[in-house]
Amino acid sequence: MMHTFNIITLNQPAVVERLLRVVRHRSFAIHSLTVNAKDEQLTIELSVVGERPVEPLFNQIQKLYDVTNIGVTSSPPTSRIDS
Amino acid sequence: MNGAELVIKLLKDKGIKQVFGYPGGAIMPVYDALYESGIEHVLSRHEQGAGFAALGNAKISGKPSVCIATSGPGATNLVTALADAQFDSIPMVVITGQVASDLMGTDAFQEIDMLGLSLAVTKHSFLVEHSSQLSSIFDQAFELAQSGRPGPVLIDLPKDIQLAPAVEQEIPPGKVIAPVVDIEKIKQAVTLIHESEHPVFYVGGGVSIAKAEDELNQLLEKYKIPSVSTLKGLGSVDTSNELYLGMLGMHGNPAANHGVQECDLLIAVGARFDDRVTGKLSGFAEGAKVIHFDIDPAEINKLRVADVAILGELKSGLQALMEQMSHENPERLEHWQQHVKKMKQEYRWTYNKSGDSIFAPLLLKQLSAKLGDKSIVTTDVGQHQMWTAQHMDFSRNNRLLTSGGLGTMGFGVPVAVGAQFAEPDTTVVVISGDGSFMMNVQELATIKRYGLPLKILLIDNHKLGMVKQWQQIFFEQRYSETDLSDNPDFAELAKAFGIQAETISKHQQVEEGLNRLLGSEGAYLLHIKIEESDNVWPLVPPGATNEQMMEKIYDAYI
Repeated sequence: MMHTFNIITLNQPAVVERLLRVVRHRSFAIHSLTVNAKDEQLTIELSVVGERPVEPLFNQIQKLYDVTNIGVTSSPPTSRIDS
Repeated sequence: MNGAELVIKLLKDKGIKQVFGYPGGAIMPVYDALYESGIEHVLSRHEQGAGFAALGNAKISGKPSVCIATSGPGATNLVTALADAQFDSIPMVVITGQVASDLMGTDAFQEIDMLGLSLAVTKHSFLVEHSSQLSSIFDQAFELAQSGRPGPVLIDLPKDIQLAPAVEQEIPPGKVIAPVVDIEKIKQAVTLIHESEHPVFYVGGGVSIAKAEDELNQLLEKYKIPSVSTLKGLGSVDTSNELYLGMLGMHGNPAANHGVQECDLLIAVGARFDDRVTGKLSGFAEGAKVIHFDIDPAEINKLRVADVAILGELKSGLQALMEQMSHENPERLEHWQQHVKKMKQEYRWTYNKSGDSIFAPLLLKQLSAKLGDKSIVTTDVGQHQMWTAQHMDFSRNNRLLTSGGLGTMGFGVPVAVGAQFAEPDTTVVVISGDGSFMMNVQELATIKRYGLPLKILLIDNHKLGMVKQWQQIFFEQRYSETDLSDNPDFAELAKAFGIQAETISKHQQVEEGLNRLLGSEGAYLLHIKIEESDNVWPLVPPGATNEQMMEKIYDAYI
């Protein structure tokens, strides 16, 4: 399953590392990551893939102190056909 | 005022009268500001000792305690204590020195990226980038450490910021969001309880953290629902409760494990379905419905999906549950209650062992009976820890401090140091093993320096016992690196630190040995030699469900 998180965080030291550490530690892999800094916030779009349920990952990311907003949408993994 | 002086002022404003730590280069301005500041500093002999002393102090006082170390090795030495506090939800504010801001990132002397290192072992961590942030960061750190699910918070403090001019900033009082228990969820829980025939409360460490013991015990007594406890939950349920079955899990009492395996409704309160509790997860209380009370949303549905999850503060949650259960008739569960009582009787611990040697389970039971109505017991990790959990009685006044989640050897002595500072008049007993004791043995110097009357009971089998036990059972008796027969003479070692000590090895010596230990004026070490063949039973082997406990007759191993 692929899960796409839309996250807003405070732009504090190590905030992206915190996020990535949680993703790895909770057994998900990064598919794509976009980070935009504006004013004192980071807007992050993060897609991850993993076999485990996404709810525990969502809860762990939401617990991060610098995270102010979080949403997630899930989809089956897209299949790729090579010609 | 410079940054370091502001730090001390902020600590005082938070009511901190005592800190634990060890000085070094990058934290010297803070130590200079501490000098004659009125805050007492407790000097450990290793930063890990300071971290664990702060942990023990926080656990007993119920408030965040403060630990200070320098950059680099000072900071890295704190990592284990931070991890332990994070795992077992203990509020601490840890201040580490850092090299000056312009040297950060240059591999300067004693520079380590402590913010980076802290990510996996703290609830949150701050790097102070400007002295104007100090007031806000300290305010947030103390609030975070003790709010919600408590935990350690690290503040990494570069040396230039300690030395820079600093002005206290006005911090508006934080908006404390009172957790509101969802009454609809409580009603759903009551329905499940009403529909159940074999309910069991599964009590975790969260109950004592939330100070919700009164509510829990009132509820258990009133509705006569059986209960079991995790290692961290020991002391929360009154041991006089005839439907309380003790500790469950890998080394739990068989009655507790069977009770849970037979239940049709498991009511988890401040517990997190740890693998040492559940055994094979898919077979844990299989088929039972689950009600899960917790303050941490990330614990809900993490390992076991809850039929009803009640998120929030446990005290009000249990209070609300009790009120909503008022129509419940405890007599409805009489068959189950009788069955539980029968199991409790059937599986009560027995202490039959022939010969002259000292049997640690019996010794710990004797110790427990001698501790009176107020005490603190700390343990290290291993066989002695499990025997302590099994054979001693704990309560709200006879408290157990033990490393649950992280399982840290070397925990017992420094945690007892911090606990004794929190309650100078309480008897504090360290129960250790010969492996664990050596892991923070330098803290005997801290005991000496402050004249702490700690009572140390060192159970010595000349082995790294728990690992040896597993090698014996699961690794074909291939005893790889678990022989400790070249241990020092522990009594002589203690005496070198000014601690009275004696060694005993026969059960006839136990009674008087314990009396001398507990009756001594100052610190005392009772070194107890036991047989290396004594193991911890029962044991749920890896991959098994909790009703599949290995039971051995103790005599078979003599």
